[in-house]
Amino acid sequence: MIQLRDVSYVRLGSPDLESAENFATACLGLQVAERGKKDLYLRSDERAHSLCYSEGDPRNQTVGFEVEDEVSLQEAAATLESLGHAVHAGSAQEAEQRKVKTFIGFHDPSGNHIELVVRPEHSSRRYFASRNAGITGFSHIGLNSTDPLRDERFWTQVCNARVSDRIGDIPLMRVNAIHHTIALVRAPQAGIQHINHQVETNDDVLRSYYFLSERRVPIVFGPGRHPTSGARFLYFKGPDGMIFEYSVGVDEIEDEATHRPRQFGFEPSSFCMWGSKPAGMPLPNK
Amino acid sequence: MNNGRATPLITAVCYVRVAVSEPSASARFVSDIFGLQRVAEQDGEIAFRSDDRFRTVSLGRDLSDGASVGIEVWDEAALEMTGERLRQCGFSVKKADADECRRRYVQSALLVEDASRNRIDLVTRPTRSGRRYFPPRDAGIVQFHSIGLRSTDHVRDLAFWRALGAEVSDWVGDIAYLRIDGLHHRIALHPSARNGLLYAAFEVEALDQIMQNSYFMQENQVKIVQGPGRQAASRQIFLHVEGPDGLIFSYVNGMAEFGEKPRLARQFPLTSTSLCNWGSESNDVPELSANAL
Repeated sequence: MIQLRDVSYVRLGSPDLESAENFATACLGLQVAERGKKDLYLRSDERAHSLCYSEGDPRNQTVGFEVEDEVSLQEAAATLESLGHAVHAGSAQEAEQRKVKTFIGFHDPSGNHIELVVRPEHSSRRYFASRNAGITGFSHIGLNSTDPLRDERFWTQVCNARVSDRIGDIPLMRVNAIHHTIALVRAPQAGIQHINHQVETNDDVLRSYYFLSERRVPIVFGPGRHPTSGARFLYFKGPDGMIFEYSVGVDEIEDEATHRPRQFGFEPSSFCMWGSKPAGMPLPNK
Repeated sequence: MNNGRATPLITAVCYVRVAVSEPSASARFVSDIFGLQRVAEQDGEIAFRSDDRFRTVSLGRDLSDGASVGIEVWDEAALEMTGERLRQCGFSVKKADADECRRRYVQSALLVEDASRNRIDLVTRPTRSGRRYFPPRDAGIVQFHSIGLRSTDHVRDLAFWRALGAEVSDWVGDIAYLRIDGLHHRIALHPSARNGLLYAAFEVEALDQIMQNSYFMQENQVKIVQGPGRQAASRQIFLHVEGPDGLIFSYVNGMAEFGEKPRLARQFPLTSTSLCNWGSESNDVPELSANAL
């Protein structure tokens, strides 16, 4: 079984790195770690980077997950190949681009591009935000799925993800104590549905709501609260239509052995217990 | 706060009696929308509960003896002393007769006016209810919490409240947050061009209820005057909503305690971030806005 430890980074293609940087610093509040000719590295926590924009097609979207060590990585590659996934072994240059020791790339059953990485770089200097959004770190992603039942099996049986809760057939899955690291979303094609950063307090969620509204950043859902994870959230739209989320207060699963996923009905209140309605953001289809 | 006494003179804001043009329409707002429990009607006054008190809000069309705010006084001795102190400060004090006490559901009362001519009832033994509070909808209301008062003469009004034993916890411009118990404030005096009740605030269980009520108001097309927001000085989260006749009712949660340690009242500038450090603004109610006056 492939042992994912944590989500590590997201790589996004963008035709306009300058707009991406403006949004990431003036609105989202990340710190620029490094500007390459065709790459923009952004920090959100103690890691050297957790988001990278590369000049290119916005449909190029990659999620990186950290695994234990090189042995685990080789085992993962063998497992994936035995299941018929084409595995790309990262070159030294590609690894350097990702600020990791080694990595492999493959596509999940829906076609999402996934990378497994070993020893992603940490920064020796603390994270210093570009605006006072209260970000404490990159935390999880919403991942499109063309068949949630099939993909849940992939993430929980081939990989070590566990289902924390379900809304209809949509699983929220964890790879460590945090309620979820991967939220599957039914969609017609592969892709990253949203990118989540945790913030310090409720105040930060509400302040950002007013801050981003004033700057005419489209708020697509919230401020609200997920009854599943307990998190207070705000979803808003960034460059190339990518949706970003701030949230605070995601539950931890206290007892791994005895936790049973709760089933929530597929209805608006299962996504927000405060009563906010998504606007300009598709909810996962049933 | 106790002026050298073992017990305080005043202990709580215990009711508001409000004059409205159409009591039945306003009553629908207060119960169906805002979520208070309608309990009684006598002499044309409709009474509502929000906690274990018999009533904390009354609505009337033409309150013959005026709209008023009820302040609970410790006991008869304290009532006498507050009357004496207010007279010494030059305020007129009238003892309520039996009928006036009955209308107010209290045992005894002094009817007084601050310098802005806001009517204040100093009352003893306001009636409590033996049955638990059962609201018409799940707005999460815990208790009647505090009031905002409009003041046309904030220097003299401050003298009025200080005579009753209230102290200023903090200032935002000339807005004075007045404390009468362990909490940051129960009364906020807002400089204004006119007198009257600015808002009546009801504590809810948590941020969840503030936000749920905010979306409930949007769905029911009720005007949100300001919020969801958070006061800088008291750390209180609030949502001010408006009913008929410009009546402002508020949901609040999370007000800071003043703490045991004495400190000076802090001065905050009259800016929108002092009034709400999340970023909400009031456009139509000048007393809640930094651009006013």
